[in-house]
Amino acid sequence: MKLPRIPVSSELPITAMLGVAFLSIVLFMATTEFSAARGLPFELLEKPGRWIGPEEAVFIKVAADSSVLFDCQPTRVEEILPRLEATLLRDTGRPVILYVDGSAPYQAMISVYDLLASAGVGNLSVPTQSEVQKSIELLGMNPFESRCGN
Amino acid sequence: MRLTRRCRLQTCLPAAAMADVTFLLSFFLVLAMVQEPDRTSVDLPVAGFRVDAERGAALVVLAKTTDVHGVEGLVYRFSDGASMSRPVESTQSILFEASRLIRDAPTRQFIVKAEGAVRYERIDELLDLLRQGGVRRVLLLAAQRKDGTSR
Repeated sequence: MKLPRIPVSSELPITAMLGVAFLSIVLFMATTEFSAARGLPFELLEKPGRWIGPEEAVFIKVAADSSVLFDCQPTRVEEILPRLEATLLRDTGRPVILYVDGSAPYQAMISVYDLLASAGVGNLSVPTQSEVQKSIELLGMNPFESRCGN
Repeated sequence: MRLTRRCRLQTCLPAAAMADVTFLLSFFLVLAMVQEPDRTSVDLPVAGFRVDAERGAALVVLAKTTDVHGVEGLVYRFSDGASMSRPVESTQSILFEASRLIRDAPTRQFIVKAEGAVRYERIDELLDLLRQGGVRRVLLLAAQRKDGTSR
């Protein structure tokens, strides 16, 4: 018996698959976020280390009105780094304390912290309210508020 | 002149090459995709120096909200980094969730996504809570400065 030969196409039928692939692309394009979240790294200490008073450190204060005091001197944000450089040149191991008034906007803190982080200031401490409370219990006053004679 | 021979054109497009490109694009997009665990619209503070968050970092959101009477307030949201963020009732819930996550992964990074206009005391309170929960590594989420400068 002789069977008739059926011609078979040498191409794969990929039109439907292509449609699905294009739909996948559209889905991914609509839902994908390419850049990861970015921000400023911040370390939280497990236990407070040796107590460093604001008078021992370079003391930077962000006040409630977003103004900045550098060692109790009113300073513009862009002047912080040159002043800090000059101070740390004389005493490289001197710690830096960034004290932020609770009423100050978060952006004001970030502006100063951004500068210090970008300059690679290593020995930087940002006291939180619980640390401030502990120092008040210890000293009977807020050393960060009284540092500049307030 | 009269052409006698007619060329027969196929009715299908040769789509094999296009399919290859499409699949390669699909793979690229799948690999490059970053899952976004929170889509809350927040006016982030701006900064010039920023580093990438780690994949799978937990997220704490502090966003402004307005109720039906037009009164503004703040709402906290939390995500473990894998699932979508959800509102939390109180800051104590954040402490509980942070402690739970840190017990499993002590070096896990926590992202703080907060409005730049909120009072710093709210951020301070949040940082204190995270510290109590055993968190050590935090990333303060910030937007790129408008002029694009990064120091």
